[in-house]
Amino acid sequence: MNVELTELTRKFGRTQAVAGVTLQAGPGVFGLLGPNGAGKTSLLRMMATVLPPTSGTLRLLGRDPGGYVPRREIRRRLGYLPQNLGYYPGFTVTDFVEYFALLKDMPPMQVPRAVAAAIEQVGLGDRARAKLRTLSGGMLRRVGIAQAIVNEPELLLLDEPTAGLDPEQRVVFRALLREFGQRATVIVSTHLVEDVGAACSEVTLMDAGRIVFHGTPDELIARGVGHGVGDAPLERGYSAVLAAARS
Amino acid sequence: MTGDNLTGGYQDTGPAPGDVDLDRVWLGVAAQVWRRQPGSAERAAGRLLRSPGLARALVTTPSLLLGWVIATVVILLAGIGFTLGTGTPWVALLAPAVAAAGIAYAYGPGIDPAWELSQSMAVSDRMVLLTRALAVFGLNAALGLAASAASGAAAAVTFGWLVPMTAVCALALAAATVTRSPNVGVAAGSAGWVIAILAGQAAEGRSTAAITDSFLVLPYLAFAACCGAVVLFATRIPRGTS
Repeated sequence: MNVELTELTRKFGRTQAVAGVTLQAGPGVFGLLGPNGAGKTSLLRMMATVLPPTSGTLRLLGRDPGGYVPRREIRRRLGYLPQNLGYYPGFTVTDFVEYFALLKDMPPMQVPRAVAAAIEQVGLGDRARAKLRTLSGGMLRRVGIAQAIVNEPELLLLDEPTAGLDPEQRVVFRALLREFGQRATVIVSTHLVEDVGAACSEVTLMDAGRIVFHGTPDELIARGVGHGVGDAPLERGYSAVLAAARS
Repeated sequence: MTGDNLTGGYQDTGPAPGDVDLDRVWLGVAAQVWRRQPGSAERAAGRLLRSPGLARALVTTPSLLLGWVIATVVILLAGIGFTLGTGTPWVALLAPAVAAAGIAYAYGPGIDPAWELSQSMAVSDRMVLLTRALAVFGLNAALGLAASAASGAAAAVTFGWLVPMTAVCALALAAATVTRSPNVGVAAGSAGWVIAILAGQAAEGRSTAAITDSFLVLPYLAFAACCGAVVLFATRIPRGTS
């Protein structure tokens, strides 16, 4: 298992953002759904080793991120796209992706080719030398995805990756997710249930810091038959599970 | 008109052979065309630090960029002019505050737009902090010493501000790290240094007392060590994840 979480919690002052999450994930694409404030981003940040848990057990890629050496090894094999990707306006697309490839400790000889491959995979080949300040929001999101995948990660964590992407780009992106899911664990936090339906083999639904559903997209759809509200079957399943959890 | 005219002299060799992966070829070409050539400073830093990532992080330090360094030199040149004109060692009084500003703008979420992302990298943010802080400190110390020497100050003054500068820089770094704001770091460092100068003047009637009094060396170093401990604490990743 690439991700093993046991009774993981995270508190911010008196607020409990994540309240005892237990989850295991191997290769595949996992969707993390939930309303605002459900704890998805906090959970993803803990898996990205950016935020330490308050309690519980966290093992990533078979290692404990609590120690310096295993944490460094995890980070070499990790791809992370934060919800708010900051960027350096004066960097070009290539500069940005290369910078993070180097910070991931990739062998320098491999970096130029890996950077080119990542930029091509997100369809920004024609803007490779463009300054980041000249790019649209959707293009910046794709730059963020490029830096996340540049090291061919074994664990890819994406927080709202399709925000700002147009429908055509989202279709391409979902294909990229499926491709990565063949060999890596991909965890995607999103509000868009259609992304989950199209790309994810499993879905986890969070509410108030807890997991209230874990299963396949089809199982989530089944929970909404005859219940729930929404225009699409997955939306009905989503709302039915949330309503049941809150009742 | 011949075919050569149409193709600019190149022979049309027809479609590529079936066993050539054009995507792979293009990636090789793109890797070379898009590749950024590191400057000599970055190459030297990479060899010294044994980490190209750390070297890249070092050369992107805001307070080591050319504009910032030029501004530092201009301030110190003005200090030389004032020192020569008034006899007051302005370089020695200015240098610690200038260095503190550089340190505050060397590292942290306030100056790094991709802060969260950089925290998930294999090259640890603490190493980036240490490398950048040392480089900024070293550059400012060298520039300040050169300016001090050029202003004709006595040796006690020329070297006397190095220890206070360490304390003021440590204060600026701690404040910037804890508050996550470089402006607060600059304010804390500058205010701390002004208070030290004014306190020295009030106690001994000399503006240079904060620089030349040797009995202050230990308190300065102790204060710098405390600030360093604060920085280490603020940048820790607590264990207990398992």
